[in-house]
Amino acid sequence: MHNAEESIREAAKKLLSEKKVDLIVGHEQGTLPLRTTPCFIDKVEDVPKLVWNENCDANLSKYLIGRKERMGVVAKGCDARSIAVCTFEKQIVRDNVVIIGAPCSGLIDKKKVRTKLEGKELLEATIEDEQIQLKGEGFELVLPKKDFVCSSCLTCRHKTPPIYDVFAGTKVPEVEADEFSDVADLEAKSSKERWTHFKEALDKCIRCYACRDVCPLCYCKTCFVDQTMPIWFGKTTDLSDTMIYHLVRAFHVAGRCVDCGACSRACPMNINLRELMKKTEKIMKERYNYTAGLSLEKVPPLGEFKMDDSQEFIK
Amino acid sequence: MVSLQNPVSEVNKVGSVLVIGGGIGGIQSALDLAESGFKVYLVDKSSTIGGVMAQLDKTFPTNDCSMCILSPKLVECGRHLNVEVLTCSEVTGISGEVGNFSVSVRRRPRYVDIEKCTGCGLCAKFCPVEAIDTFNKGLCDRTAIHINYPQAVPLVYMIDKEKCIGCGLCRSVCLADAITYSDKEKVTTLNVGAVILAPGAEEFNAKLKSEYGYGRYPNVVTSIEFERILSASGPFSGRVQRPSDGDIPKKIAFLQCVGSRDVTCGNSYCSSVCCMYSTKEAVIAKEHMNQIEPTIFYIDMRSYGKDFDKYINRAKEEYGVRFVRCRISKVKEVPNTQNLRVKYETEDGRLSEEEFDLVVLSIGFTPSENIKQLAKNLGVELNEYGFSKIQPFYPLETSKPGIFVCGMFSSPKDIPETVTQASAAAAKAGELLSSVRGTLVKKKEYPDEMDVRGQPPRIGVFVCHCGINIGGVVGVPSVVDYARTLPNVIHACDNLYTCSSDTQEIIKNNIKEYGLNRVIVASCSPRTHEPLFQETIKEAGLNRYLFEMTNIRDQCSWVHLHDPEAATEKAKDLVRMAVAKARMIEPLERLSLGVTHRGLVIGGGLAGMTAALTLAKQGFEVDVVEKNQELGGFLRKIHHTLEHENTQENLRNLVENISANKLIQIFLNAKIEDVSGYVGNFKTTITQGSEKIERDHGIVIVATGGEEYSPNEYQYGEDPRIMTQLELENRIATPDLEKLGNVVMIQCVGSRNDEHPYCSRMCCGESVKNALKLKGKAPDTNVYILYRDIRTYGLIEEHYRKAREAGVIFIRYKEESKPTVTKALSEGKEVLHVSVFDPTIQEDILIDADLLVLSTAVVPPKENSILAKMLKVPINEDGFFLEAHAKLRPVDFATEGIFVCGMAHSPKSIDESIAQAKAAVSRACSLLTKDVIEAEGVIATVNPNRCTSCELCMQVCAYNAIEIEETKRGKTAKVNSALCKGCGACAATCRCSAIDIKGFTDMQLSSIITAMR
Amino acid sequence: MESAGEGWTPKILAFLCNWCSYAGADLAGISRMQYPPNIRVVRVPCSGRVNPYFVIKALQHGWDGVLVSGCHPGDCHYISGNLVARRRFAVLKDLLEYFGIEPGRLNFSWVSAAEGEKFAIVVKDVVEKVKSLGPAERLVKR
Repeated sequence: MHNAEESIREAAKKLLSEKKVDLIVGHEQGTLPLRTTPCFIDKVEDVPKLVWNENCDANLSKYLIGRKERMGVVAKGCDARSIAVCTFEKQIVRDNVVIIGAPCSGLIDKKKVRTKLEGKELLEATIEDEQIQLKGEGFELVLPKKDFVCSSCLTCRHKTPPIYDVFAGTKVPEVEADEFSDVADLEAKSSKERWTHFKEALDKCIRCYACRDVCPLCYCKTCFVDQTMPIWFGKTTDLSDTMIYHLVRAFHVAGRCVDCGACSRACPMNINLRELMKKTEKIMKERYNYTAGLSLEKVPPLGEFKMDDSQEFIK
Repeated sequence: MVSLQNPVSEVNKVGSVLVIGGGIGGIQSALDLAESGFKVYLVDKSSTIGGVMAQLDKTFPTNDCSMCILSPKLVECGRHLNVEVLTCSEVTGISGEVGNFSVSVRRRPRYVDIEKCTGCGLCAKFCPVEAIDTFNKGLCDRTAIHINYPQAVPLVYMIDKEKCIGCGLCRSVCLADAITYSDKEKVTTLNVGAVILAPGAEEFNAKLKSEYGYGRYPNVVTSIEFERILSASGPFSGRVQRPSDGDIPKKIAFLQCVGSRDVTCGNSYCSSVCCMYSTKEAVIAKEHMNQIEPTIFYIDMRSYGKDFDKYINRAKEEYGVRFVRCRISKVKEVPNTQNLRVKYETEDGRLSEEEFDLVVLSIGFTPSENIKQLAKNLGVELNEYGFSKIQPFYPLETSKPGIFVCGMFSSPKDIPETVTQASAAAAKAGELLSSVRGTLVKKKEYPDEMDVRGQPPRIGVFVCHCGINIGGVVGVPSVVDYARTLPNVIHACDNLYTCSSDTQEIIKNNIKEYGLNRVIVASCSPRTHEPLFQETIKEAGLNRYLFEMTNIRDQCSWVHLHDPEAATEKAKDLVRMAVAKARMIEPLERLSLGVTHRGLVIGGGLAGMTAALTLAKQGFEVDVVEKNQELGGFLRKIHHTLEHENTQENLRNLVENISANKLIQIFLNAKIEDVSGYVGNFKTTITQGSEKIERDHGIVIVATGGEEYSPNEYQYGEDPRIMTQLELENRIATPDLEKLGNVVMIQCVGSRNDEHPYCSRMCCGESVKNALKLKGKAPDTNVYILYRDIRTYGLIEEHYRKAREAGVIFIRYKEESKPTVTKALSEGKEVLHVSVFDPTIQEDILIDADLLVLSTAVVPPKENSILAKMLKVPINEDGFFLEAHAKLRPVDFATEGIFVCGMAHSPKSIDESIAQAKAAVSRACSLLTKDVIEAEGVIATVNPNRCTSCELCMQVCAYNAIEIEETKRGKTAKVNSALCKGCGACAATCRCSAIDIKGFTDMQLSSIITAMR
Repeated sequence: MESAGEGWTPKILAFLCNWCSYAGADLAGISRMQYPPNIRVVRVPCSGRVNPYFVIKALQHGWDGVLVSGCHPGDCHYISGNLVARRRFAVLKDLLEYFGIEPGRLNFSWVSAAEGEKFAIVVKDVVEKVKSLGPAERLVKR
């Protein structure tokens, strides 16, 4: 990943100096170990701030929605795919955006790391040679990176962005992955077991809406849960209301979700929202042979139909 | 027939039409004409309009409640500004000339003032006289002052002066001061441009067939009497019982052809409808009381109409109706029980006897003396039976120019055919008077709409008993009580028939009295009755969309007959849900749309050409699109009619006329590439070779015709001696027809089987026609017709009789033992051996045929399905186009502005195709004659504050009715109101709920869903 | 709505399209085909009008089952409303069942204006299924 960092900076410098874009949306080093933060760079001299590593976990497409400026954006596979979805949905103006595609080797799941640290404070972290070195007061750990990669990255097939204007670094070949195995495990359970599973999982939700706020696809002006006339569903943490919120959100991202994992990462209650999102992907793949975010032209499944669509559920 | 040779000069023409007869035919003619710019006088000798249909309980083959589908039409007629209903009236004479007649009408006194009577019925409650109820066929009594039935239009009482004792009670109780004992007969003269005769026919007098004991045995009733017995509003409130003792009959016999197909009583024709109506009566009786065992004794089962055979099969298989093919010789009463012993001869000649509790005589129809007198008064020629004389290519024209005929008066026929002819006759009158259209009509003025916006809902709930249809199962009063407890319900009441015209007045009065601003009717289906009630509230100054309807009959009382408690609970829930929605409904506006005054006719056969010519004669431009290189379609294969008319000559004339007409443009070798748009504003792409032609049309008439089935049965195509009936017709038409010894015709080849379960209707007549031709050319030719049922309905029966007289041999075969054909050598010649089992002698018969003629089915063109998709109209299981309603909208589609006629609808004869084509034009003219029509108010609407302009709605909109608009506050979706159909695909797809459907809003539907908590 | 226990009968909310299924339901009535009195019909212009929210809301508000019925593919009065809806319903049903909502709660059918009998059969089936599941509990807001 690090080898792309320089190329990204070069590309950004070029775009800014040639006035092809007004600003660059990228990642800069955060204040804590294993953290980066999205940054907006409009001066060539600020370009060196740009970093590219396993901690660049923000999905930057979210920052492009509704913007009028010409922007260059640093994009992983999932960023680029959600840019594609939002572009198709006319939330991002394609002509205003230069996608600086960059290869991704998988993001570090900070929650996994935190669990490993068992409450100890992390002061320094370095990632090298597929290993993570963690240091703090009175401890030092060397961990294999592969055990601490985000689950969404483990099954990601598009580590190289399928859509980009400039490419920075070396392309990573598309990999085959059994991406729906977790969903399949759940599917194998009984209806009641699944109900219990989701009930317990979602009972933790505090309705903070971090998942919604971080999701690049949640750009509605008024979310359905916030609407009145009619009030569709309650805003309480009553289990029924909470479950319906997540159910409807899953329905809304069906055929659009690119499994960037942002929602799960953002959840303060550690709810594994991907379990739901991944199911929508699986439905789309199995019923309509569709994967979101691979094309700027293809109409997503819920915007079209075929005469011979599956209808085994209809009497 | 002589067409109008010397019509009066256009200046003298009068823009009004007299329709004689207020049955369903007359009503349809009147409404069509009134809707297309003519003043109509609708004259009926009875005290109400409605005719025979008002006496029927249910109608075949859909089992629709007769009154339910008739009643909205009655009300529409009664309230139409340009229809003047003259009841108790008879036409006595006519003078003047075509286009400008003076007609004298004798108006019998009613003794009740039409203007004053409110139909409240108080008078009848106090009337001390008991008289025979003729409407209920004497099965019960009525008072001297009476109405025929509760939905009568006009809803005005009448005094039966013969029975009235003049006691004055009615006058003293009548608060409206409507009783006028001094009423006198009046004679009125009407000035009209044309006359339509729709007087119907009379039931055969069953007493003339004394062997059946009608009039002597109380438990022998006629089919019309039985219809009243079945009716919920009849003498026994729908309880099937014997007149003699009120017991529920177990075994009921229906005897067919009483007064039909019977030379001895002078009615040698077939009455066309009895096979179907008696099957229907048997089915309905069984539905009313499951223990009933109906048996139908018949000669031939004449279920020749669209979907009729399916109905018969269902009667047999699902209802267990027993069908016995035989002739009845005698009915005798069993003295003690008053049961009846029916003696009959079975098909194989055995005599049999069986006892029944009730016998229903399926009586035929015949022109009444009254009608014959009317014809005389008008100078209209009658045929030997007393029906109006007509000719196959002019089925609507009497012998007198300017006087047209429809319905039973020209031959026995069922309701849809009567309605078709009625519209067609209206088209004929319209053709004649198109230059004076609009000269005598008034325009409807509605009161200004009350502005109810911002007002809290004040809901009125009207719960219908529908006679006993609802009230017999659902506890209507408790539903009313329940409704009163619901939020915003200001008023709730029950009505015997919410659809009757007196209830419309009640609704209007209640709106005023209680200041209602939302109205709910809980009754039958909004699909049939919503417009009626919407009109009513509009007349009371409410926007028509401030109305909500819930179906507690078709979807409640009728489907939960045996669970009144649960049905009542359900009705309450449904009312609660309706109230929940009504609280949220808002007035909607309708968009006015312009109309392109040009028609498109798809298909250039007989129906298509007739439609085009009729449209042109009404003054509209037409495009005719024909897929073949020549006009004529199926008709090109027919050389003569049963009545010896030269078909080809008529066809040539038609082609010449249509080609010469400047308003008509013909596209041959052409097809419809695309049709878009909507009523009044269709955009059509026609392709002709490589050329694409774009046209605007206001209406579309589908006349794609039928095709001859190409048989793979009976070795067709393997031997030149085996041919189809049409090929034989072609052979007969050639002068050098060789001498033939034995000709065998096989009926139902490709019809009434698994592949084509329907009857092709015309083949029986076709075979009889060709048989008679062969016999005429060479009387010693032996013609054998192997048939399943001979379906020479109506006056075609006469030709069947002639064929038998001429020595044509008819042998019936059963479906399960079809004739077989084998080739064999006989005397050195290869012959066609036809073998068939004859059920009368119970033996196989062998015939060596010189010619084997197959009466092949009529099949729909394959392109029908493509066209149906393009036009968004349905086709039925058999591949024919499916009309909006089998009974009362026979040429309309559910989609406005598109019509069907001819064999595209179902197989039919020349006169029937012509009538349908003209009917389609008549219906089309009710649109084309207008400059502006109103679009639906139920359409999509966008909330820009929520719209993210993601375009998902555009992707799912099938009408391209949504576009993205740039506004000051950014982009937003926008709905084109003229294109939007209000389906709601966009609203349900939008994640942001930024698009909604007026009339079915998220708020309204959400309220319904949560109403039960 | 009624709670579980003795004498419980399910209440099922049915969204019927105006042109086919509602007419089919009318036909069932005209033909006097008897079916269980447990359904409450909401007339909608098209099955395409049925927003997943309606279904979910019905389940949350204690309806024991939901039936959505429209025109057969190809018969839609609005050309393709039912086909767009078919995908929407497929996803909704898959998701709801994945969530652990009993498969019998949510039902879909195509019933034409001519299929009165089919309508009666569909209702019978749905009522049977929901009866065997018992009163709705999952997703119901108490």
